[in-house]
Amino acid sequence: SARAAEILARDGPNALTPPKATPEIVKFLKQMIGGFSILLWIGAAFSWISFGIQLAQGVDSAFDNLYLGVVLALVVILTGIFAYYQEAKSTNIMASFSKMIPQQALVLRDAEKKELPADQLVVGDIVEIKGGDRIPADIRLIFTQGCKVDNSSLTGESEPQSRSCEFTHENPLETRNIAFYSTTCVEGTATGIVINTGDRTIIGRIASLASGVGNEKTPIAIEIEHFVYLVAGVAISIGVLFFIISVSMRYKILDSIIFLIGIIVANVPEGLLATVTVSLSLTAKRMAKKNCLVKNLEAVETLGSTSIICSDKTGTLTQNRMTVAHLWFDNQIYSADTSEDQTTQPFDQSSPSWTALSKIVTLCNRAEFRPGQENLPIMKRVVVGDASETALLKFSEVILGDVMSIRAQNRKVAEIPFNSTNKFQLSIHETDDPHDKRFLLVMKGAPERILERCSTIMINGKEEPLDSEKAEAFQTAYMELGGMGERVLGFCHLYLPENEFPEGFQFDTDSMNFPTSNLCFVGLLSMIDPPRSTVPDAVSKCRSAGIKVIMVTGDHPITAKAIAKSVGIISATSETVEDIAKRLNIPVEQVNRREATAAVVNGMELKDMSSEQLDEILRNHTEIVFARTSPQQKLIIVEGCQRQGAVVAVTGDGVNDSPALKKADIGIAMGIAGSDAAKNAADMVLLDDNFASIVTGVEEGRLIFDNLKKTIAYTLTKNIAELCPFLIYIIASIPMPIGTITILFIDLGTDIIPSVALAYEKAESDIMNRRPRNKRKDRLVNQQLAVYSYLQIGIMQSVGAFVTYFTVYTEQGFLPSTLLGVRVDWESNAINDFEDSYGQQWTKYQRTYLQWTGYTAFFVSITIQQVADLIIRKTRRNSIFRQGLFRNKVIWVGIFSQIGIALILTYGLGHVTALNFTPLRFQYWFVAVPFAILIWVYDEIRKLLIRRYPGSWWDKNMYY
Amino acid sequence: SLAVKILLFYVIFYGCLAGIFIGTIQVMLLTVSEFEPKYQDRVAPPGLTQVPQVQKTEIAFTASEPRSYEPYVRNLDNFLRDYSAEQQTENIVFQDCGDTPSEYKERGPYNDAQGQKKVCKFKREWLENCSGLNDPTYGYKDGKPCILVKLNRIIGFKPQASIAPANESLPPEVMAKYNPNLIPVHCVAKREEDADKIGTVEYYGMGGYPGFGLQYYPYYGKLLQPRYLQPLVAVQFTNLTYDMEVRVECRAYGQNIVYSDKDRFQGRFDIKFDIKSS
Repeated sequence: SARAAEILARDGPNALTPPKATPEIVKFLKQMIGGFSILLWIGAAFSWISFGIQLAQGVDSAFDNLYLGVVLALVVILTGIFAYYQEAKSTNIMASFSKMIPQQALVLRDAEKKELPADQLVVGDIVEIKGGDRIPADIRLIFTQGCKVDNSSLTGESEPQSRSCEFTHENPLETRNIAFYSTTCVEGTATGIVINTGDRTIIGRIASLASGVGNEKTPIAIEIEHFVYLVAGVAISIGVLFFIISVSMRYKILDSIIFLIGIIVANVPEGLLATVTVSLSLTAKRMAKKNCLVKNLEAVETLGSTSIICSDKTGTLTQNRMTVAHLWFDNQIYSADTSEDQTTQPFDQSSPSWTALSKIVTLCNRAEFRPGQENLPIMKRVVVGDASETALLKFSEVILGDVMSIRAQNRKVAEIPFNSTNKFQLSIHETDDPHDKRFLLVMKGAPERILERCSTIMINGKEEPLDSEKAEAFQTAYMELGGMGERVLGFCHLYLPENEFPEGFQFDTDSMNFPTSNLCFVGLLSMIDPPRSTVPDAVSKCRSAGIKVIMVTGDHPITAKAIAKSVGIISATSETVEDIAKRLNIPVEQVNRREATAAVVNGMELKDMSSEQLDEILRNHTEIVFARTSPQQKLIIVEGCQRQGAVVAVTGDGVNDSPALKKADIGIAMGIAGSDAAKNAADMVLLDDNFASIVTGVEEGRLIFDNLKKTIAYTLTKNIAELCPFLIYIIASIPMPIGTITILFIDLGTDIIPSVALAYEKAESDIMNRRPRNKRKDRLVNQQLAVYSYLQIGIMQSVGAFVTYFTVYTEQGFLPSTLLGVRVDWESNAINDFEDSYGQQWTKYQRTYLQWTGYTAFFVSITIQQVADLIIRKTRRNSIFRQGLFRNKVIWVGIFSQIGIALILTYGLGHVTALNFTPLRFQYWFVAVPFAILIWVYDEIRKLLIRRYPGSWWDKNMYY
Repeated sequence: SLAVKILLFYVIFYGCLAGIFIGTIQVMLLTVSEFEPKYQDRVAPPGLTQVPQVQKTEIAFTASEPRSYEPYVRNLDNFLRDYSAEQQTENIVFQDCGDTPSEYKERGPYNDAQGQKKVCKFKREWLENCSGLNDPTYGYKDGKPCILVKLNRIIGFKPQASIAPANESLPPEVMAKYNPNLIPVHCVAKREEDADKIGTVEYYGMGGYPGFGLQYYPYYGKLLQPRYLQPLVAVQFTNLTYDMEVRVECRAYGQNIVYSDKDRFQGRFDIKFDIKSS
C-alpha cells in the first residue's frame, strides 16, 4: 500500500475534477460592477468629489452630497448582494442535487480485502464488483461470472452488455473485458484491475470535453444587456447634454456636476435588475412545482424562446416500460390501453380464445412481483424479470387479478426458459380444473417460430386446422403489428393427452420427452414502450407554438417512427420520402424531396452526411426523427439546428449527452434517469423526465418574457417623471421639484413590489399559439416600448406631477410665474427675506421646507400615476377589462404597498430631515388623480386602435 | 409620410398635453385669492433679518478703508430709500400712526372692495445715528457699525407682545423699556465668553423704543399695500472689540414669535463682526 500511496500521489484521487468554479468573491464583485452599477458608482464618485470641493469652500450643505454618495454606493452594494444571493440560492439547489454519497470499493491490497473510498483507488488495484455496484474506475476484468453492465450513460445502449475476460475488440469501448467508471454492474460478479482513474477514465475525458464546450450567453442575458446599454446610453447622453447646457448657461461647474448626478440617478432604474431577478426566480419556483428545476435563472426565459426541441425518446416521450399494446386472436386485432395508470382493459374479453390466451400469458411467464407491494397500483409495482415479461405480468394482473394465486393453482411441473437459439419459452402446468387431469403445455416466443410449431389455430375457442389462408391472416397481423414498431410475441398451447402423460409424469426438459410441435396457435401479443399520455397533447402544443420537435433516439427507425407518429412528432398526414416512394411505387431517388415534410434519418446516414446535407434536412423537413443515433451525433444535430439560427433545447440523460447539453441553448437533463454529468452540464433538470413538463416550461418562459416587458415598461415610465424636474430646473431655474433621495425612494421603495407583481400577470392571449420570438427582432426592450414609455406616458406623468408641484407652491404663496428664474436667490443662504407673490418674506429654511413639501407632492403624484401605469401595463393589447382588473391579486398587493409606503414616508418619516419628506396636505394626493385617469383612458384608446387597425402605422408604432 | 404622421401625432399629442397643463394651472389659479395665500403654515412664524444683507452672515471691514465697507453702506442706502421723508408724502397712501407704539391697525377684509389700504409712515429720523442722514456711512467709518433689524412680512400676521410679568426669559434691558404694544428687539453676544467683547449696543426705533410698534401690523400684502413700510430697529455696536470675530445674536420677543433649532433665522438671527484696526 506504500506503492498505492505513491501512485495516488502521482495520479491524484480517483475522482472527476469538478468544472472550475468562479471564486465567490469574483462572482460578488461582478455583481458590483455589472449592469447599472458602473453608472451609480460614477454618480457616487461625483457626489464625493463635489462634497470635497464644497467642504473646502465651506458650503453648509456640503454634507448632503456626502450622504448622497453614500446612499448611491449603498444602493449598488445592496442590489449587488441581493443579486449575488439570488444566484447563490439557485446554484445551491443544484449543489444539493449533485452531492453524491461517497462511493466505496472493495479492493484487494496487501493480500487482504478491504473497503476503501473509491477516490483512493489507484492504477493496479484489484477490485471486486457485484450486481448493483457502480464501477469505481475503468477496470480490465480478470474474472467474471454472469456479469452484465449498463453502459447506457456512456454509449447510449439501453440493453445491458455482458462482460467477460476475453479481449474482443481493438476499441476499448467495444471490447468486452473492460468496465467503465460510473457505469453500473447490473448482475453477476466480476474482478478486475484498475487501468485508469479520475480524469483519465473514459468518462473523465468526456466530462472534460463537455467543459470545453463554451457556455453561451442566454437570450435573456443578451436582452438585459441590450436594455442596460439603451438606458445607460440615454442617461449618459442626456447627462452630458445637460452638463454642456448648464455650463454654457453659466452655472458653476460644481453645480453642473451635481445636476449630472441627479440626471444619472433619475435615469437609472435602480431597482429594476433586482426586480427582474425576483421575477425570474418566481417563475423558476413555479416551474420547479411543475417539475422543471432551473439551475440558471436566466434559463427560465431561454426555454420560452426555444424554437427547436431535440428530445430523447425513451423515458421522455415514452413511459420507459414495455406495455402490451395490441392483441391478435380470433383473426382480429384488439388494442390495449397503454396509459400510465390502467386499471382495466376495455377490449372484448368474451371470446373463449381470450381465456386460453390469457392462461398462456399468465403461466408462461417467469416474472414476479416483489413481495409486499399489495397496496401499490399494479403499474407502479416493482417486478423481477425482463421488460417484456414484466409487461405481460402486469397486463394479466390487471385483467385477471391475482396472477400469483392463478399460478399456484396451475402448478408448474416443467419449464424451458427463453434462449436465443430456440427463441421460445415453454412451461408445463397442472390445470386448476380438478376434473381435468391433463397437463397443459404453454409456449411463447418469436411469432414465426411459434407458428412453425403449430398445426392448428384457435378461432372462437375452437381448434381449427392452420391452413394457408389462416397463415396468411397471421402474416398480415404480424406485419401490421411489427410495422407499428412493436415487439410481437406468439402464444400457443397444447393439452397433453392424459393417456400418454398421466398424473405424476416426469418431464425432462433436456431430453424433451413431450411434444413441441403440432401445437395449437392461440394468438399474438405485441408490446411497445408507449408514449406518455400527456405527450401527444404537449407535442401538438409545441406545434401550434411554432416549436419544431425533433426526436433523437438510439432505437430502430421503425419503432422510432411509430412512436413519432403516435405522439404527433410526425403528423398523420405527412409522409417521408420513403412513404411517398411506396405510395407512388417509384424508387426513392425519384421522389421530389420537397414534397416530404417528414424525415426519418438513420444514424448511419448521418455519419456520412456533410453539414450542408444536414442543414438541408433540417431546413426542408418540419418533422424529423433521428433514429439509431449515438449520443455523439446529438452534438452534431444540435449544432446543425443552431446554424439555422434556432434556439435549441436538448434533452439528455447519459454522460455522453453532456457535450450536447452544454452546446444547446438550454440543456435539459432527466431528473430520474439522468446521470450526474448530464445534470451538471444541463441548465434545467426535468424532475419527472416528462416531455410535457418541457412544454409547460416553455409556456412559463414565454409568459415571463412578456411580463418582463411589462415590468420594464412600468419602471421606465417614471424615469421621465424623475428626469423632467431636473431638466426644467436647469433650464427654467425653478426651485428643485424633486430630490435625488426622493427619486431613490420611488425606484427602490414604492415601485418595487408593483413591478414584481406584474410577473404574476396571466397571459393576454394564448401564448402557445404564437411563433417563438425571433431573437434578433423581438427584443425585450424595443423602440416602441422605450418611446411609448418615455415620450408619452412618462411625459403625461411629468405633467401631472408638475401640476401638483405648482399647486403646492401657489397655495403657499408662490404663483407659477414668480417661480421662474428664482433658483439662485432661492438657494442662497444669505437671503432670508425672500419675497413671494404676495409680498411675504421667507427665510432660507422656510423655503427649503417648502421645497421638500414640493418633493413630497411630486413624489406622491408620481406614485399615484404609477398606480395607473401599473394597471395599464397589465396588458399590451387587450383591454384591461378583458384581462380582468382583479384576476391578478398580487397587482393589488402592489398598489396597496405602493400607497402604503408613500403614506409611511410622507406622514411617518415626514419629520426626518435627512429624507426630505414632509407631511403633505391630504388634498394634494388627489391633484394627480385626473392625470392618472387620463393615462388609463389614453392607454385604453391606444389598445383599442391597435386592436381595430392591425398593421396600421399606429399598431406598428404603439405596440411594444 | 410615416415620419410626417408620427411628427403630426406628437405635435397634436404634446399640444393637447400643453393645453391640459395650462388649463389645469389656470383653473387652479382661479381657486386662490390674489390678496392672500391659501396657506401660510410654511412661512409663519416670521423670520428676523438684518440689513445689510451679507454672505455667510459676516460683516468684516476696516474702519479706515471706505472701500471695505462701501457695499454695506450701499446696501443700507438702497434699503432706506423708501423710508425717506420725501417718499412718504402722499397722504392717500400714508398715514401717520404716531410716534409711540400703539394697537394693531385693522384695515378691513383682505380684498380690494375698498381699494388699496393705507400704510403707516415710518420716519427715517427715528433711526438717529443709523438713519444715514447725519452719517452717510452709518457709523462704519468710526468702527461703530449699524445694522437694521426687521421682522419678515407675513400677510395678516399680528405679532403679540410678551406679557411682562409672565415672561421671565426676557432680558432685563428689554424689561426696562417694556411697552405692551412693542415687539422688542435685543442683541447679545452669541457665546457667553464674548459677552464683554461686544461693548455697548445702541437701539434706535420708533419714538426711541427698541422694537416694532404693533400699529404696523397686520400686513395686507403686496396688492393692497404696495408701499408698506415694515418697522425697523437700528442696532449700533459702538464699542466692538477689533481684530477678532465677535458673534452677535439678535432676537425679537413676542408670544407668537418662536425660535427653532432648524431655522436659525426664525425670530432671531446671528451675525459676525470682524473689524480690523488697520
